[in-house]
Amino acid sequence: MRTPAFALAVALAAAALSAHAVPIVPTRDDEVIDVLPAVNGSRAEERRLRRQLAEAPRDPALALAAAQRYLDQAHALGDPRFAGMAMAALEPWPDDAAMPDAVLLMCATLQQYLHEFDASAASLQRLLARPGEQRPQAWLLLATVRRVQGRYAESDAACRQLAHAGAALHATACVAENAALRGDVARARAAFNALLADRALPAATQAWLRTSLAELEQRAGDASAADVAYRAALRLAPDAYATLAYADFLIEQKRPAQALALLKGQTRSDAVLLRLAIAGTQAGIASAAADVAEMRERIALANERPDAKVFHGREQAMFVLAVEHDAKRAWELARGNAARQREPLDLLMLAQAARASGEPAAVQEATRVVHKMGLRDRRIEVLL
Amino acid sequence: MIRRCVLALALLVFGAAAQAHKASDAYLQIDVGDKALAVRWDIALRDLDAALGLDANDDGQLSWAEVKTAWPRIQGYALPRLSIAGCPLRVSSTALERRNDGAYAVMFMASDCVLTQAPVITYSLLREVDTTHRGIAKVSRAGRPMTLTMLTPVDANPAASTAGAATPEATGFIREGMLHILTGYDHVLFLLCLLLPSVMRRTPEGWRSVDKLSQAVWPVVGIVSAFTVAHSITLALAATKLVALSPGFIEPAIAVTIILAALDNVWPIFSVRRVVVTFCFGLIHGFGFAGVLAELNLPTWAFAAALLQFNVGLELGQLLIVVSVTALLFLLRHRPRYRGLVIRGGSLAAMLVGALWLIERTANVSILPM
Repeated sequence: MRTPAFALAVALAAAALSAHAVPIVPTRDDEVIDVLPAVNGSRAEERRLRRQLAEAPRDPALALAAAQRYLDQAHALGDPRFAGMAMAALEPWPDDAAMPDAVLLMCATLQQYLHEFDASAASLQRLLARPGEQRPQAWLLLATVRRVQGRYAESDAACRQLAHAGAALHATACVAENAALRGDVARARAAFNALLADRALPAATQAWLRTSLAELEQRAGDASAADVAYRAALRLAPDAYATLAYADFLIEQKRPAQALALLKGQTRSDAVLLRLAIAGTQAGIASAAADVAEMRERIALANERPDAKVFHGREQAMFVLAVEHDAKRAWELARGNAARQREPLDLLMLAQAARASGEPAAVQEATRVVHKMGLRDRRIEVLL
Repeated sequence: MIRRCVLALALLVFGAAAQAHKASDAYLQIDVGDKALAVRWDIALRDLDAALGLDANDDGQLSWAEVKTAWPRIQGYALPRLSIAGCPLRVSSTALERRNDGAYAVMFMASDCVLTQAPVITYSLLREVDTTHRGIAKVSRAGRPMTLTMLTPVDANPAASTAGAATPEATGFIREGMLHILTGYDHVLFLLCLLLPSVMRRTPEGWRSVDKLSQAVWPVVGIVSAFTVAHSITLALAATKLVALSPGFIEPAIAVTIILAALDNVWPIFSVRRVVVTFCFGLIHGFGFAGVLAELNLPTWAFAAALLQFNVGLELGQLLIVVSVTALLFLLRHRPRYRGLVIRGGSLAAMLVGALWLIERTANVSILPM
């Protein structure tokens, strides 16, 4: 009688604590309690690396190897825990002044991944102020961070430094990207196409440039050109970013069935699940309900952290607007998100939420933000 | 080469922003009651695997056998990484549960402390494993709305945390030590057995009452000192895990010390001085105290300090018992029936209780209500 009574007590306690928790009462030794996330390479190797690092916590080579490994895993699985684990490998350095150059660069990269954009830019500026060699990677990352923050002039400055540092291709793409965001579409398109004329470029580089081109066409309102560029990019080298961007494009174009087909088989990260829920809802298919419920549950779980609404603002705003149809809440989320993250998608959400809210003040505020940044995007312009 | 690196980085920064996010969270439910504190702590098994390597066979799955085997390590890792000022925590039961993002280890803990203010929590779980880990604490206090606190793991080394935490911790462990001797009936009974004849002298004709208080005090001081020194030695040895003895041996042995000490009051059985006997038996009781200490949540950074405080508490509690009992016995010593009723009757009663405890602790049955 003892075990069922215990199980019942646990069940009641669990129910009282959280609707999300279900007690596990194992019955056999070989019962699988949990499945660990996939790793790159062997687990034994990962464990060895972790042990070595524990023994020599400030060995830059080991720390970088571990951090890179975890960051790759964070990208592959869309799992932010790995970014925290990567950061923990850099934790033994007391401050960034003590970090070797490569470690400080990794730190900035992780801060950017974790949406700590100001901290990332500060780390990069400290690194770039150090005497010595050219640092193209640091300039490129700084240009990216400033672009994500919507600080295009500062991004331009970093792009120019990138050219001085000898990374011609990336400098050209960097400048073209910023030009395209501010509406200089023809010149940017020409620049991307000129770079793509070099057929000897690695497939991944070509795919990256094609994705940039696709986004440019999408913002400029040329759906068929965007579609062609996205598909070319994904044919060259499928990657998570381009897949999500194309899924958003397909949803925007009211082609949910194709979006669902594209996302089928992808790791169900929050970003992927969100698109599945939105596309499924748009298509009105039966399986959408399960994805919507799961996404809703994940959001509820994430929101137990007080800072989640800032960190997950974009995804939450998209979900609330497209699935929950709660315009007021979507506006609050989109506004909070745009305070730190200002990619075109963030401002599109801001504009859509402002328009959906029916509040003239919201529309005015969104218009002001977009104008101040200098972003030109046809999708936003038709809303404001 | 630069180009390749830059490319890798470009893809990396390009792909970053769209990913999202259920970071590592542990959940704490803290119920502050009028007389006690209850804590429930849920920690994701995958986080514990990252810290401790639970997946013994590296197959990417955690079986019940692996989790079960690792459970002492899980508690040994987690408990020193949570402290609530003034409230040493004991694990009362454990469980497993499934949440949206995987399986969690659950620990139910309790403390006898009384908090008049919001609990001061020091939290350092997983700090060296995942910098984005947070503890989400729901604190309930009677008559107040529940509060939600996000705990950011802090560096748990002494330099960083003793300054803020030492004062409330100190009283907590002293109090805990006192509580454990005052409510540890077997230790109290053993002390009583030693004290019963302290106001008497043993003569060839049997017990005779002393004339002056000093004649009683010095033997008491000697006996209490021997007991204190002895149990401090074994408490320290056991608490620092230098010596480990099974509670299955220690608990019955403590009952035996009571029986023998009581027996010696009635029929002299020891050929050596009582101080020596007390010292030997004190060694055994020290292991008993350590058993209690092991269940407490001692932060590693303050282990020595906490051990000392716990022991100071024990001695204060012991002093309280010794002074009041000796004073009472001294006043009663000339009563005609002191020898018969107090020494003989008291010792026989102690022998009976000790014997029942011995049966309980060896046969694992429950006879006495305490």
